[in-house]
Amino acid sequence: MLFLKKYKKYEHSYITTSIIILIILISLSLFAPLLTDYNPVRNNARNRLQPPSKEHLLGTDQYGRDIFTRILYGLRTSIEVGISVVILTVIFGGIVGIVAGYYPQIDKIIMRVLDAMMAFPGIIIAISLAAIWGAGKLNIILALSFAYFPKMARIIRSAVISIKDLDYVDSARAAGANDLRIIFKYILKNSASPIMVQATFNFALAILDEAALSFLGVGIMPPAPSLGAMVTDARTYMVVAPWMILAPGMMIILSVLSLNLLGDGMRDLLDPHLKNTLKK
Amino acid sequence: MKKKLRLSLIVLLIVFSLLISSTVLAQEEDRFGGTLNTAFQMSVAHLDTDNSTDSMISAMMNHVYEGLFEFDENLNLTPHLAASYEIKENGLVYDVKLREDVRMHNGELMDADDVVASFRRWLEINNGGQLVAPHFDEIEKLDQYNIRFKFEEVYAPFLNILASPVSNQKFVVRAEEVIDEFGTDVIDRHVGTGPYKYEEWVPDQKLVLTRFEDYTPSPREGSFFAGERIPYLNKIVFNFIPDAQVRVSGVQTGQFHFAEEVPRDQYQIFKMDQNIKNVIIYPDRMSMLIFNNAEAPFDNKYARQAIAYALDFEELGYAMIGDPQFWRLESALHEKGNPWHVSDAGSGIYGVYDPEKAKQLLERAGYDGQPLVILSGQDNQMERQGAIAIQDQLEKIGIDVELQLFDRPTVVERRAKKEGWHMHLSPFIKVVPDPQIHQGWTGTNKWITNWDSKDSRQMDQIFAEMLREVDYEQRYKIVERMQAELWDSVPYFNILDYSRLHIRRTELKNFQAGWQPFFWNTYLE
Repeated sequence: MLFLKKYKKYEHSYITTSIIILIILISLSLFAPLLTDYNPVRNNARNRLQPPSKEHLLGTDQYGRDIFTRILYGLRTSIEVGISVVILTVIFGGIVGIVAGYYPQIDKIIMRVLDAMMAFPGIIIAISLAAIWGAGKLNIILALSFAYFPKMARIIRSAVISIKDLDYVDSARAAGANDLRIIFKYILKNSASPIMVQATFNFALAILDEAALSFLGVGIMPPAPSLGAMVTDARTYMVVAPWMILAPGMMIILSVLSLNLLGDGMRDLLDPHLKNTLKK
Repeated sequence: MKKKLRLSLIVLLIVFSLLISSTVLAQEEDRFGGTLNTAFQMSVAHLDTDNSTDSMISAMMNHVYEGLFEFDENLNLTPHLAASYEIKENGLVYDVKLREDVRMHNGELMDADDVVASFRRWLEINNGGQLVAPHFDEIEKLDQYNIRFKFEEVYAPFLNILASPVSNQKFVVRAEEVIDEFGTDVIDRHVGTGPYKYEEWVPDQKLVLTRFEDYTPSPREGSFFAGERIPYLNKIVFNFIPDAQVRVSGVQTGQFHFAEEVPRDQYQIFKMDQNIKNVIIYPDRMSMLIFNNAEAPFDNKYARQAIAYALDFEELGYAMIGDPQFWRLESALHEKGNPWHVSDAGSGIYGVYDPEKAKQLLERAGYDGQPLVILSGQDNQMERQGAIAIQDQLEKIGIDVELQLFDRPTVVERRAKKEGWHMHLSPFIKVVPDPQIHQGWTGTNKWITNWDSKDSRQMDQIFAEMLREVDYEQRYKIVERMQAELWDSVPYFNILDYSRLHIRRTELKNFQAGWQPFFWNTYLE
């Protein structure tokens, strides 16, 4: 793969660090049931607000639930939301972007609609959709995908436009390839790098925005663990139980930071020229 | 020689007693003065208690207006602007004699005309007045200081509702001229009899009250809202600060002398601060678990009883309130010390944690294992944490529970429906003047319980009897029956009583923790 080939050549430290952190985080969330004996939603209120100890590595919250356990499962929620949002935005953004880029007849209409959508900050769209549809994991995923896909569509469209008039595409067409074949075999394959970079950023953004939505009370429904909701709960107890806010806060920072570093690193690695045009 | 000694002794004694009394007087005199700054959590739409159900309004306007009757510390009804009263014709007639020396903020003396005008307005638009109105006949002025209230039928809770601490039900006396001017419209010129008078109101920001120099205190001993009120402070400023943390830091820095409702879990931090005193309010809220009695499985009383056995109330106390000094288990609707307290309410079911029995009862009720929906608010700590803890406990014994947490208006809208929810957690005000007040919540299809069965009609019967009974002993027996019935058919039940936490600076002296904060008799050092 192109990515791996270049990686050896550059030996980029951003990427190495962020991938290591990400692997740790993902395995923490995947192996959560093996790493802890506690259940993330079972209460033990007589044991509430305990500081970190041997039994509770990161202390307990106001219901007496183990915070370490909740972080592992909360991370799982974040990653689930992140991956689902990335997949959905790539699919929707891909379809819209390709149609707009490949068929100039309807390009203008689609782009103006997307412009209108992009005029609103993504988080505002997500908040209003979540408020209308109600809280819950699936609704959050849909709301965030809806908010992010215009940007993805634009990136894919510009990649399509820049590639579709290149000589090798023309020769494929001359050889009798139909639109579908050209799009998938020649265009998409060669526009993979900007999509991957944007997908990584979307991943990070989705984790952050899920936390934000849950923080505002329109995200993951309690008692299911979510890093953002943990921060909200912890706010009241910040002075008496600082461990409650520190742990989920650090986890959000760590995951978002590593994803952003990965995105930055990949962008530099794959296409240094894009650095200025693709800045978030 | 002996005579001289005696004389000098007497002189010495006189000098001493003079000295002592002058220092006492001086101390008493020292108390006067100063501006009190307080931080309250909610802003109000206006200041007319009759035109609202917002209890925040009466909390402030209690300083400006006074009732004919007020409650003391033990919730005993005490004449306040009334000098005395007499109940005649088996409870159909109430004769009330007014105090004759009470000056109002416009300089005139309060008399029967003011009371009659205020009462007619109260009866027409006030929430408490509307409870009384269907049974009421007319109010008569006998002479300048005597009034007669006449009823069409006996209405036992009358005096208690006149002094009611619930929201804005209390009847207060306003100047007749103001009522002539405003009628039933919202009043914005305030002429009362209270120790403080209205000075300035900046909506969403503050209300300023100043001392009423010609205030005539009640001759009775001061106790909470009843008796003598002394306005030591020159000025009281009520600031509206919605954010709890801002109220807290305001008191910590000395900007405010008092803050209403601060986070209970910061109690220890306030305790360590030498300048701050915690004020724990007498448990004046109860957390009620209400069933939707119209929908299966809770259309069957055994299913409702099962939930009481399935819950560990003590564990719930820790989860929904926290520190045990802020909550206590209490099965009765009226707390210990209240004249209507029934000590053995719910014995055998309240606080008995028996999951096995719960399962048996559910089976007996024919529960089919469908998920049960708990509807609760997400903004109030008790509602949110309580609902989450109840879900957890029910799931532990294998009952499938769906949690629905919403903002207050959505909760109010959804719970009004007959379908879509099974259980609902809500705070009730504990400090109520009369057992009759529960009629509005209990009985056939009252309030939100959707209760309509043989049991509910029996409850209706109990309340109908209670309404007509004026004798305390007899009435208490009816209350006992009501409590027993309530714990047998369980249309809703009280999980526990809980307190709120206020904080004050140490400079604020003589502050008493009432169900609504008040600042007469307090002074600044």
